[in-house]
Parts: sequence; structure tokens; C-alpha cells
Amino acid sequence: MKSFAGLAGILVLAIVLSPTASDGSRIFLQLGNLTDVLRQISVIGIIALAMTFVILTAGIDLSVGSTLALSTTVVAMVLTHDFAGMGYSLHIFVAMLAALAASTAVGALNGAVIALLDIQPFVVTLASMIGIRGLAKWLSGNANIDIGFGQDVAAAFAAVFRQKSVVIGSYLALAVVFWILLGRTVFGRQVRAIGDNEKAGRYTGLPIRSLKVWVYSLCGLLPGFAGILYAAENHQGNPNAGVAYELDAIAAVVIGGTRLAGGKGSIAGTIIGTLTIGVLTNMLRLNNVDSNVEMMIKAVIIVLAVAVQRQRGVE
Amino acid sequence: MKYGILIAVALVAVGCGGTSSEKKQLFVAFSQCNNAEPYRAAQNALMTKLFAQDPGVKLVIADGQQDNSKQVAQVETFIRQKPDLLIVAPNERAALTAVMGQAMEAKIPVICLERDILQPNYTAYIHSDNMAIGRQAGQFIADYLIKKNGTAKGKVVQMRGLLGVEGEIKRDRGAKEIFAKYPGIQVIAEPVADWIQAKAKDRMTEVLRAQPSIDVVYGHNDPMAIGAYLAAKELNRDKNMIFVGVDGLGGTAGGIKKVMDGILAATFVYPLCVDKAVEVGLKLLHDPSFKPEKDYTLPSTMVTPENAAEMYKKFTVDE
Repeated sequence: MKSFAGLAGILVLAIVLSPTASDGSRIFLQLGNLTDVLRQISVIGIIALAMTFVILTAGIDLSVGSTLALSTTVVAMVLTHDFAGMGYSLHIFVAMLAALAASTAVGALNGAVIALLDIQPFVVTLASMIGIRGLAKWLSGNANIDIGFGQDVAAAFAAVFRQKSVVIGSYLALAVVFWILLGRTVFGRQVRAIGDNEKAGRYTGLPIRSLKVWVYSLCGLLPGFAGILYAAENHQGNPNAGVAYELDAIAAVVIGGTRLAGGKGSIAGTIIGTLTIGVLTNMLRLNNVDSNVEMMIKAVIIVLAVAVQRQRGVE
Repeated sequence: MKYGILIAVALVAVGCGGTSSEKKQLFVAFSQCNNAEPYRAAQNALMTKLFAQDPGVKLVIADGQQDNSKQVAQVETFIRQKPDLLIVAPNERAALTAVMGQAMEAKIPVICLERDILQPNYTAYIHSDNMAIGRQAGQFIADYLIKKNGTAKGKVVQMRGLLGVEGEIKRDRGAKEIFAKYPGIQVIAEPVADWIQAKAKDRMTEVLRAQPSIDVVYGHNDPMAIGAYLAAKELNRDKNMIFVGVDGLGGTAGGIKKVMDGILAATFVYPLCVDKAVEVGLKLLHDPSFKPEKDYTLPSTMVTPENAAEMYKKFTVDE
């Protein structure tokens, strides 16, 4: 794996540069810190899995951050709504289902417009990035919806879904599912085929339109699920959550070696890309690097990562 | 054909505009710099509520989306509409100064809300004082440490807002002015969390990993103090430190509720300034002889568990 070398390099740096705790151990290597990193990357990581599929079709989805915000808002609204007599588990289930349905509908709509009206994905998802943000803010009246600070159904929801094991476990499980979906199924092969050469795909009878609707629906579903985790972790439905998350997700996919022009790429690469950013961020912050400098360093790393892969690709 | 439809739509729109002016209603235009911040959403809600009590007033709110040029364009459009009163909460001082001057030249009364501009291009400026709030918060923290440790000695973590913004600079400077008087108070970490609860939680988690002992977390706004609390709670360290915030919004998602719930030890109300603005605005609309003061500075209120319930009632806007 070409991008693996980059991750390994940053891991070594993170270990070497790590400040030490009072007992002399390296803070970076503490189990708590390592799981912090995994938890912190999970939200972007989950979105990046679906983004990989979209980019493989030579598409892009700019609306994932807004979709995440919509999902946090919907799940919080349903959780704080009083359904007389409904049990906790059913209430939580309904809230999650509503959030997932809303966000999947956004993805399906993106896919349908892209496939049926034949408009560029950039334009369609740019429009829904704006429109869905508006919807989330309209639903919540611009306000955050606090959940789970008391002893109620929302507290029970947050207690379960903010647990590190649940968040990291969900990311791992979804990563495995998407890895199999891309690498071991007909659907995955067809997704790659569209990105490689859409015209050829059409001549060979690929169901291009329905494939695209499916891919973009997944790219609504996963940010929707990430939104549920976000709401639980931060105890809030936040219509302003997830601004610029689409760029973080795209960066992870690109660092992982997936070609923006479609056709070539892998889920494993995306996971490595996500980890690379996560470890880098943690390393810089444990060393108290100025937040503005952090942005500059990240910029350099992104370009370097892609350039290195290019070089090797040419050889 | 397309253009035909557009023109038809435009004509209908103009037609509607023409008929609605039969009954003279006072038109109040409010240019808000960014609806996305909870503080500003609360301002909008309170202003809508207060102006709704006067049936002769029609209020329109435009959202500048934290973008200077968008807000300038919106104010320009408002000037064309000749409102009876223009209220502007400027996104940044330099950018809005000129356009607010144009409104004054057009003989529109202008209220400048909360943030100042470079020249006094307004009828009245209504604001609070972040420096004073920073000092109040700093003094509260010093007093708490004296009570806890006998002397003003202890470790403080600051959660900073967006760097370079007036509120962030002054809430920081005011508190540090007080800390400077007590050499025993150490600021051991000041991560930047851009006012956002989710970011504050992540930044605080890293601070907790590196710092075995922390006495006080001072968030430059309540959401960041709450984010820090969530991080500490997860590591079972929330009982070893207190959390102090600023903003003190009412409502279930506001900081005052968090003081009532024992999550924040204190918050300092950053006044919405809206009640004063509406009061001054209505006088400007209805009383031609009214001469407002140029500058109204509104004091902050400290909210602690003792007065939280009372303040919650006072600062919550019913929906």
C-alpha cells in the first residue's frame, strides 16, 4: 500500500515527538489517547467511506456536512419531543430512524437529480449543501437543541452512543462492510467501472442511473449515521455542525490514493488517509503547535501525500 | 420564453409590492451579522417578540452569514427600501462603517447593536463591555481559588474563541488583568476552539491527557465551557474542577440552565442589548422630539446557582 508509508512515517514522528506524562510514559502512546484519536476520526472516517464510492464514480458530494447537521437536528428534535407513553428504546429507535431516513432521502435526491437530469454532481451537491443547511436551520429555528443533560430518554441515547467503544466499533464495522462492498461484490465492480469509463459502461449495459442513485444514497445514509454519533457525543442537535466536513472527507479519500477522476481507489486507502490526518492532528496538538501553523502543516502534508503517490504511479 | 416567464414573475412581484403600501406601517429593518451563533439567534427571537407587541411595526431581519460583503449588500438594499428604523449588528467594524454612513445620509435613524464601527455613523450605539466581563470572570476565578486553596493559587485552562475577534481578545485580556495580580494563578493551557462546543470537547480531551491537575476551566463562551465539561466528565474528572462560561443565554440550551443544573459554576451574561435597542427604537419611531444618547453601555450580570432560577426566568424568551 503506497499511502501506508506516509502513515507509518507520521506515526513514528508522533511517537518520537510525543511529550511525556509525569510517570515518564509517552502521552501519544497511552491507550486513552490512541482511542481518543480513533474516536475523533470516526465521524469524518465514516463519511469518507461513502465519499470514496462517490469519487470512484468520478463524482463528488459537497453536501455531506449539511446532511450531518440535518441528522443531528432531526435526532435531537425527535428525542426532545414528548411521545406520551413511548418506551425509551422505541423512542430512541424512532429518533434514529427519522434522522437516517431524512439524510438518506437527501442522498437519494442528489443521486436522482444527477442521474436523471444529467447535471454535474459538483453543481447538484453544491446546491444541496446550501439548501439542506437551510433546512436544518429552519427546522431548529437557528438554535442548538441540547440533549441528554438530565435524566431522560435523550440522556439514555447519549450514554449509549457517545461511548468510545460504540463510536469506534461502528466505524470499524462500517469500514469492513464498505471494504467488502467495494472489493468483493458486483456492485463494487460496477461502481469502479462507471468511474473508469462511463461511456463504455453504458454500452455494456450497466444500470448507470440506478447505480448512481444508490451511491449517492449511501453518501446520505453514512453522514446521517455520523450525525447521530455527533449528537450523542456533543449532547446537541446543531444545525451549524459539520461545516467544511466535506473537505475533510475528500482530503482523507485523496490522501488515501483514490483518484478524483474516478475509477481507481480503495477503502483501505481511505482508512489510511483518515488515520494519517487524525494522527497528524493529535501529534501537533499534544505538542501545542499554534493552530494557524497546524493548518499550514496540514496543507503541505496533503499535497506531499498525493505527490508521492503520483511519483510512484509514474515509475 | 424563459425570459418571458422571468419578466412575468417580476411584474407580479412588483404588482404585489404596490398594493401592500395602502396601509402605512412602520418598517424596521434589522441587519444581523450571523444567525448561526446561538447568541444572535437569541437576539433575533427577542427582537421579533418585542416588536410584535407593537402592531404598527413590521420587522424584517436579514442574515449577513458572517460575511462582510453580504451584509453590506443587505444594508444597501434596506437603504433603497427607506425603512423607518435601521438596526445593524455589524460583522466587522471597518467593513460596515461606510454603508451605515450612507444610511445616515439617507436620513434613516440607525441603531448600531453590540459591535462598534470606526466612525459614529449611527443615531445610537447600544453595547456591553467584554473587558469588564473578562475582569468579572477573572475575579470570580481568583475568589474561588482563595476559598478552595486558602490563597489565590491554582491551575486555569482557557478555552479560546475565534482568534482576533473582539470578544475573544477582551474576554481574555480582562481575565488576565486580574490573574496578573495573583502570581499563584497559572494559565496552563489555552487551546483554541473557535466558540464551538464540539471542538472544545476534543481540545479539552487533549489538555486532560497532558495535565494531571486542573482547578478551573474558563470558557470564553458557554458552549466551550460545556464542551470542556463533557470531556472531563468522560474521564471522570469533572468533579475535580469548575467550569466558568460567558454569554448566559436563557432557554433550555443556554448557559443559565447549565448553572441551574450544576454543570457550570458561573456564567456572565453578555447582554443581548436587544431590549434596550427596541426601547430606544420605539421612541425614535413614535416620538419625533426624542433625542437618544449616543452611547448606551449595558452591564453584565453574574449568574451563580444562587440566582440562576431567577435569571433563567428573566432571560428566557418564550416561544
